[in-house]
Amino acid sequence: MKIIRIIVQIGILNIFYYIGVGIVSLLNLPLPASVIGLLLLAISLQFKIIKVEYIQDGAGFLIGVLTLFFIPATVGVIDYPQLWTTTGLLVMLAVTVSTLITIYVTGSISQVIEKKEAAKKEATVEKAKGGVTVE
Amino acid sequence: MNEIIVVLGTVGLFMLLTKFYQRFPHPLTIPLVTTTLVSALTLVIFKIPYETYMEGGEWLQKMLGPAVVALAYPLYNQRTIVMKYKYSILSGIFIAMVTGLMTIYLMLKWIGADDSWMFTALPKSLTTPVAMQVSETIGGIAPLTAVFVMLAGFVGAIIGPLVIKYGKIESAVSRGVSVGSASHGVGLVKLKDYGEQELSVGSLSMGLTAIVGAFLCPLFVYIFM
Repeated sequence: MKIIRIIVQIGILNIFYYIGVGIVSLLNLPLPASVIGLLLLAISLQFKIIKVEYIQDGAGFLIGVLTLFFIPATVGVIDYPQLWTTTGLLVMLAVTVSTLITIYVTGSISQVIEKKEAAKKEATVEKAKGGVTVE
Repeated sequence: MNEIIVVLGTVGLFMLLTKFYQRFPHPLTIPLVTTTLVSALTLVIFKIPYETYMEGGEWLQKMLGPAVVALAYPLYNQRTIVMKYKYSILSGIFIAMVTGLMTIYLMLKWIGADDSWMFTALPKSLTTPVAMQVSETIGGIAPLTAVFVMLAGFVGAIIGPLVIKYGKIESAVSRGVSVGSASHGVGLVKLKDYGEQELSVGSLSMGLTAIVGAFLCPLFVYIFM
């Protein structure tokens, strides 16, 4: 019966997707409808409007084969030979450099922030403990 | 008839190449890369036009919408990690997004690439399905965006460890957030080697980056272009 459950749950995910489509076209938003659907589902789960059991098998199945759904689009690259022009290759180089800079900058800064966050937490814990001893 | 051949052929090829990846796990053997390569080569060799292929491909592509919605499920499961490191992770994602957008924007301006390249390359650090949809929304070429997304992934997975080593990025959270938000799922393949915490922070960062990026990319285009 698992297969029926998966199909029904994919139907529920589709409803969220189409609500996203509706919102995007109604408000004329420059956002992908699927991301709006994702946000709505996350909010519904968080506020227990929808039980996680209602979507978990369908979601797990779709995520397991997610790659399959964008292969048709990636194959479309054969229609764009401009990727192999000088500009195309330079853009690829730029993507490479940008990614490396992003990893370095993000890693270095978030390391500092994390240390502060951890120190703060420890201080709060110490304080709480102190409070207990005083009592 | 064409439709059925394409759908069954793609599904079969994907299953086969997923098995291959499980035997030989490497950033370059991920099923997206191998399945795309084999499919593209097949079309080129047998001179099948992309439109003919897409008659069936469309069926698979239609599932992309609900599949992206489904990403809410792992995000929901990881909410305890967010609460634990909320400032480090959220600020990290924001820093990564801004750094990624600014650096690619400046470099493309410098080499004189036109706007269509810009729209195509800006979403490069988002997970492929979201990046392609964002690319379409802002006027980029989605299949080329997928190529850049893959490239950003490979760079993070293959050269990223050197940046982590020589840049002295030592904490698990900052390793996870930096690679996860710059190199999405392909980067995660590498984060697995560091440990469980790097991996879960990384996959959470990947998901949140996709959401934040879906808002920031169009906003960036609106402000700068």
